[in-house]
Amino acid sequence: MDLMEMNLTHETNQFIVIQLGEEQYGIDIKYIDNIVRMQHITRVPKIPEYLKGVINLRGEVIPVMSIRLKMGLPVDEINKNTRIIILKLDTHGSIGIIVDQVKEVVTLEVNNIEKVSYDGKDERINYISGIGKCEGGLISLLDFAAVLAE
Amino acid sequence: MDVSQYLEIFLDETKEHLQSLNTQILNLEHSPEDADTINEIFRAAHSLKGMAGTMGYKRMQALTHEMESVFTDVRNGTLKVKSNMIDAIFQSIDALEEYLTNIQANADEGNNDNEHIIKQLQDILAGGGEEEAPPKKEKGATKEKAVSMERKEKWLEIPMGESESNVLAVAKKQGKNVYGITVRIQESCLLKAARAFLVFKAIEDLGDIIVSEPTTQDIEDEKFNLDFSLIIITEYPLAKVIEAAESVSEIESVVGGDLEIDTSGVEAEEEHELVPLGNAVAVDNTAAGGGGPQPEKKVSKPVVNRTVRVDIEKLDVLMNLVSELIIAKNSLVSATSTEEGNDRSSGVNEQIEYLESVTTNLHESVMKVRMVPIESVVNKFPRMIRDLSKKLNKKMELYMSGEETELDRTVVDEIGDPLMHLLRNAADHGLESTAERIRIGKPESGSIFLDAYQEGNNVIIEVRDDGAGVDVDAVKRKAVEKGIISFEQGENMTEKDIVDLLFHAGFSTAAVVSDVSGRGVGLDVVKSKIEALSGEVEVKSTRGEGSVWTVRLPLTLAIIQALMVTVGGEKYAISLGSIQTIEDISNADIKFVQASEVINLRGTVIPIIRMSEILDIESKKSPDEDMVVVIVKKGDKMAGLIVDELMGQQEIVIKSLGKYISKCKFISGATILGDGEVALILDANVLI
Repeated sequence: MDLMEMNLTHETNQFIVIQLGEEQYGIDIKYIDNIVRMQHITRVPKIPEYLKGVINLRGEVIPVMSIRLKMGLPVDEINKNTRIIILKLDTHGSIGIIVDQVKEVVTLEVNNIEKVSYDGKDERINYISGIGKCEGGLISLLDFAAVLAE
Repeated sequence: MDVSQYLEIFLDETKEHLQSLNTQILNLEHSPEDADTINEIFRAAHSLKGMAGTMGYKRMQALTHEMESVFTDVRNGTLKVKSNMIDAIFQSIDALEEYLTNIQANADEGNNDNEHIIKQLQDILAGGGEEEAPPKKEKGATKEKAVSMERKEKWLEIPMGESESNVLAVAKKQGKNVYGITVRIQESCLLKAARAFLVFKAIEDLGDIIVSEPTTQDIEDEKFNLDFSLIIITEYPLAKVIEAAESVSEIESVVGGDLEIDTSGVEAEEEHELVPLGNAVAVDNTAAGGGGPQPEKKVSKPVVNRTVRVDIEKLDVLMNLVSELIIAKNSLVSATSTEEGNDRSSGVNEQIEYLESVTTNLHESVMKVRMVPIESVVNKFPRMIRDLSKKLNKKMELYMSGEETELDRTVVDEIGDPLMHLLRNAADHGLESTAERIRIGKPESGSIFLDAYQEGNNVIIEVRDDGAGVDVDAVKRKAVEKGIISFEQGENMTEKDIVDLLFHAGFSTAAVVSDVSGRGVGLDVVKSKIEALSGEVEVKSTRGEGSVWTVRLPLTLAIIQALMVTVGGEKYAISLGSIQTIEDISNADIKFVQASEVINLRGTVIPIIRMSEILDIESKKSPDEDMVVVIVKKGDKMAGLIVDELMGQQEIVIKSLGKYISKCKFISGATILGDGEVALILDANVLI
């Protein structure tokens, strides 16, 4: 058990690579509960714009947010590649995020992950915990504590 | 031994015992001689001591030991119940509760030895001993011996019910021997229950055990000290019985003797009595053949509670499954309703209706399982009022009714604090001082009432007092002083509105802040707590006659009947409980009063709320069409909600919107419709 945890946290991490606009982002698979196709989202009035509403996931009501709006990108264009990734976090419960496309799963060695220096100028950099290097190029690793903060 | 797995049970049972102690000691204060009460207290103290000992909580054990000792003497009649003793016992209970809180928080009882309480109890014990000492000294040369003798012959003190004495009397008539014996097990014995069991078995070979003290159940559970007493019917002489009992190892002593029985009572009925008794004994014997000290269960107290302790989480799972079943059923209903006109649909519809009634019943049963009487919360209040009465130096009595009223477990767990606040408030602010009451000719002792009852889908809990009522002027003055309202506002407010200001945050009218009813953080906390439970609280007050605080709580939290409506193409649910009527009105009916829209409905002016505006959505109806208005009610306030269309009534399962979406006040949750879509639930109470 301990060995496995060590593997996950210190040697290799698996990430799901998603497309948002032109860029690729990575989400640590330990946060991911489910990936579902885009479906009807019930609007909830009087909530921030980046929260699109709620969906029904097998009998549970789950809030969905537009990560594009949260990160200051243009509004989502919904097409057949659009997916909702359901994240399960201790602090926020389950929450869905809308992504343009889910591409692949990559395994990153710890020494292939570079910490980013925080400069605060670009809003997007605030949501990123590191940069991963792999064959497909560079992927930005999302920092959910920041993405989900209000 | 690892006892951590028993911690939950220990906590639960200890709480129950402490509660029972609280109640019984209050009883004792009123009727200090009542033997049942004293026995009950003794048992509770004894069990507590045993449990604390088993779990290794030494301080708790020490304290309960002293309590038990006091009540041993009370039970034996060597110590009289006095008020200082009651106070000391109450202090001990508080101390025990403190231990319990510590244990609950960090599995450790803490370091407080509570020496002064133990000292107090010991003083009481000693005091009682001295008073009773002289007669004893005359009797026996050494007190020690007298006590130990007394202890040995405990069978003489076995309490006997009418049926038992009858059985014994009849047996005696038949020429059988009736003996009482007391068996004492060696102190070093580890398996007391097992030894006792062997003694029972040995004696059962010779005759029948009619009464045992403590009960067999207690003995099996090792809830006894070192000795137990039996009354037996046998054909053999006493010596043989004692020999049989002594043959078991680790037995220190066995003493016994003939039991004197008054047989005159049964003589007349002898003929009739004989036959049934024979049967009874025969039955007993067959039961005994099965093994173990079972037969005397028949004569011991019947088991009252046939219950199972179930983890609330398991019930939540069950409840969720029922919810999903209802959602699935709703899907079926909506799936078939779209295929209407089909020949087969009538048969399907019948089955679906059947399914519907089964799921509704299932839901009700599961809800009932989660229901607990509010008794567990309210029965700590008499004690609290007693303490308050002393602290505030006001005479008061608490009268409670409807303790058996049931509420969902989650609600019951939460409702204790708000009710306590209301009671404290009534005691501190509501009731006048005793001197004042005498002066204005009211009964010297103030009365506080707590009444609970069910009304439709709600449970109402009322806290009433016969005190001074709310001083409207004082409240108004204070509110202006604190800047909650302006002076002009105050002038225009109705009396009721002013009384409602009491629930405003940071409000306290008591001239002196007392540690009883806090610093004005009370009532607004009460209100928000009750509202968090989807309940409401209201106050009505009559100057000079008292106040009534009414707490209204929903019976169930998870599944409700709702009216489905559409606004701008979106579906919303409104709880049926808050809906008064549904009206069709034309544009011309809408009037303006102080720049807000109202309608006049059969003589009542009701403000209207356009839901499309509240929900930030375009209404799909053209402005000159007639409007559908849902009239909702909260207490005696009403409002009309304008919606686009009505969809019909439906049973809905309330789901939370999750932690992440919590800003929207008038949405109380969401539900999943038959087609899998999510609809939001409008909280009419917030909109009004």
